Amino acid sequence: MMRLVPGADTTASALNAERIKLEAISQNIANANVTDAPGGGPYQRKEVVFESIINEAISSGSGNGVNPSSVKAKITTDSNNDGPQIYDPEHPHADDAGYVQMPNVNIHEEMVNMILASRSYEANLAAMKYGRRMATQTLSIGR
Amino acid sequence: MDAIGQATQFAQTAMDMANRVARQQAEDPSTLIPQDLQDQAAQIQERFTADTTPIPITETGNAGSAFSQMVGKLVADVSVKQTEAGQAWQGVLSGQGVPLHQAVIASEEAAVSFQLMVEVRNKLMESFQELMRMQA
Repeated sequence: MMRLVPGADTTASALNAERIKLEAISQNIANANVTDAPGGGPYQRKEVVFESIINEAISSGSGNGVNPSSVKAKITTDSNNDGPQIYDPEHPHADDAGYVQMPNVNIHEEMVNMILASRSYEANLAAMKYGRRMATQTLSIGR
Repeated sequence: MDAIGQATQFAQTAMDMANRVARQQAEDPSTLIPQDLQDQAAQIQERFTADTTPIPITETGNAGSAFSQMVGKLVADVSVKQTEAGQAWQGVLSGQGVPLHQAVIASEEAAVSFQLMVEVRNKLMESFQELMRMQA
């Protein structure tokens, strides 16, 4: 199959990874106040790390010397840090001392991560756009 | 016979031939074009005016030349890309979990490859018309 738009597959994988990241961030924000998550205890924030994988299908097809590595998003659970404990004896999830363990989600951090994810998405969209433009411009040589 | 006589006779013969060709052309221009060239032109026209149905690679005409096969494959590839884009959009719109960017990228690729096909067609037609102009 011919590949006319340079880097389309790699960019597509990166866009997908950013999408997954944004999904995890919105999940964190949505669960920022959940004190009873499935499995007991407060909600633990999800963290997305990106991995580079060599896409054999693209490497064999491109033949231009570049080994395209696609991006893969991996969702991990951040269980190292504990959230704050607040004193609220009336709370149904309070312990014997009257403290409630809150999720380890920092909403400011999540907002910053959201902007970062959105900007990275934008950068990949720009790469896609210019790849398409290059292909179109090349075709216009004959005109 | 002297040289002038020979030249006159040659000129006479050439004029006769030219007249015959002109008459034939006036009656039916297509008789001047070899039949196999006409067949090829008809095939090319048929292939490019055919609607969206995908063209199987195996049926690229009796010419069997590498070039016609290549063009046939190009058209088939473009058709496949269009189908893929359509499926991706269907997947997005019917909620099958296909990410939006995948559908848009598939559409873009289909558009660019279609543009490539059109450019190839234009070049082919250009050279064909150049050939036709040689007759006149």
